[in-house]
Amino acid sequence: MSELEQVFNGIVQDYSERLYWHVRRMTGTHEDADDLLQDIFLKIWTALPTFRGEAQIYTWVWRIATNETLNWLRREKVRAALRFSSVDAEMERRIQADPFFNGTEAQRKLMTAVAKLPDKQRQVFVMRWWDELSYEEMAQITGTSVGALKASYHIAQEKLRLNLSDGAVSK
Amino acid sequence: MTGKPDISVPEGYFQELREKLEAIPARGAARPAFVKRVAPYLAYAASLAVLAVTGNFILRQTAAPAEEDTGWDYISSLAQSRDPAGLGEELGETYSLTGEDIYQYLVEGNLSLEQLETLRYEEDY
Repeated sequence: MSELEQVFNGIVQDYSERLYWHVRRMTGTHEDADDLLQDIFLKIWTALPTFRGEAQIYTWVWRIATNETLNWLRREKVRAALRFSSVDAEMERRIQADPFFNGTEAQRKLMTAVAKLPDKQRQVFVMRWWDELSYEEMAQITGTSVGALKASYHIAQEKLRLNLSDGAVSK
Repeated sequence: MTGKPDISVPEGYFQELREKLEAIPARGAARPAFVKRVAPYLAYAASLAVLAVTGNFILRQTAAPAEEDTGWDYISSLAQSRDPAGLGEELGETYSLTGEDIYQYLVEGNLSLEQLETLRYEEDY
């Protein structure tokens, strides 16, 4: 096994599960998360020879994952538009139909409401609320300032508060 | 099933996932390399197709007067024009083909979105 393969396998061991949960929250379903995660790791493998070590591997891996996830969301919008459908309705349908969702109705409503946030707000919310990343970590990954991330998270929370009628949602 | 309080994964999923992901180096990055090789040919084919469609459009637009009286001479003069840009100007239109035009053409073609995205984002990393 080459040195590169060893590094790659280390990344798989260290990050695959955590990235899965992030991608799952962003895509809404297990099936989509599984497909997208394979694309993300293919991208990581392809880009690994160019990794120079200027960023921490943690930041680098997360950055690829978040960029690929945003690209996936854009593609979903195009696909929905080609079907003369709305991506929000499509995501809601998938979340409703996901056999691996076993939470409460309030949690399902939260996932559905999060899926309706603009892509970047959604990303910030998922990273902070579910992935429990610090603002400093998020800033390194996204290349956005801590202040901007806090503002984005606050706006996302307000939108969700408006969207969810009962307002009582637990993790 | 294992997972978070509200979402779960099939039993043993993460072990299977790691095995699938660790097999990626063995599979290699064949698909991106293939796309990279054929991308210039696709762009060339697309530009030729755009020219063919444009030419066909021009001829169709000019076909009606040709059936009447003096149209044949006009079409004949167009056919002798060797410069496609000059041909466009003669009809009061200019065509400057950009990368975006080619991309849009491919979007309207039969390429899958995955292929398009690979083409578009291949240079990102």
